[in-house]
Amino acid sequence: MARFSERRYRSQMAVAMVAYMAAMLLVWPLSRTAASVPLKVLLAVVPVLPMLFVIGLMARRISASDEFEQRVHLLALGASTALLGALSLVGGFLAAAGVLRLDGTILIWVFPVTMIGYGIARWWLLVRHYGGSTGCDGASLRWQLGLLVGLVLMVLAVAWWRGQLSDFQAGLLIGMAPAALVVLALALWRRLRRASGED
Amino acid sequence: MKNQVRDLRGGQGWSQADLAERLDVSRQTVNAIETGKYDPSLPLAFKIARLFGQPIEAIFEPD
Repeated sequence: MARFSERRYRSQMAVAMVAYMAAMLLVWPLSRTAASVPLKVLLAVVPVLPMLFVIGLMARRISASDEFEQRVHLLALGASTALLGALSLVGGFLAAAGVLRLDGTILIWVFPVTMIGYGIARWWLLVRHYGGSTGCDGASLRWQLGLLVGLVLMVLAVAWWRGQLSDFQAGLLIGMAPAALVVLALALWRRLRRASGED
Repeated sequence: MKNQVRDLRGGQGWSQADLAERLDVSRQTVNAIETGKYDPSLPLAFKIARLFGQPIEAIFEPD
């Protein structure tokens, strides 16, 4: 299978993330006020469609990787799944015992937490274990920052169009803040490492 | 396993990226093989051996 270029992966991921944000801003809020149950269901699952595309994109990227990359991807996904499984078990037992009060909306976090765990595990494997780099170069960081800025602007544009920043939109902005901080911290870390290397 | 990939690549004057392109793998993969952190599969080991025109046992040896 032909290798999946990073450029192609990034551009398709950007399209999926913009579609996801558009669905979250414009379609999903309608599910709360929809009268009929079938319509409510339809509107509620619309944001899942871009995420299914992202899952397919990741599957294609992994299957088009070479043997070493596949090993790293699968080890990272395995570690992340094991961590999430353990957390779910602990949370489930605590909820069943009445110690924690969890509702169904917590399931929304399963996919993002899996992806965060996968990212951290992949970084650890590539950088700490195999002594290489993540390929997270300056262009990649600039792309990630650009995408985040674009998504924030989308939220602000919809808020401006509707004349108010709703709690939901504020929640989306707050949710993106940690991602922006991580990207900025990585950019700063790279700059400091480069500067210390030049000394 | 120990291997001579870094020396053989240096002998050809290739960068890790050059070798990666010739083997159709990533630069990270070449780096992991050269540092002995990753042992390639048999098909990839044969590919490396063919590229440098040497038998596998001349390039890879057990620790």
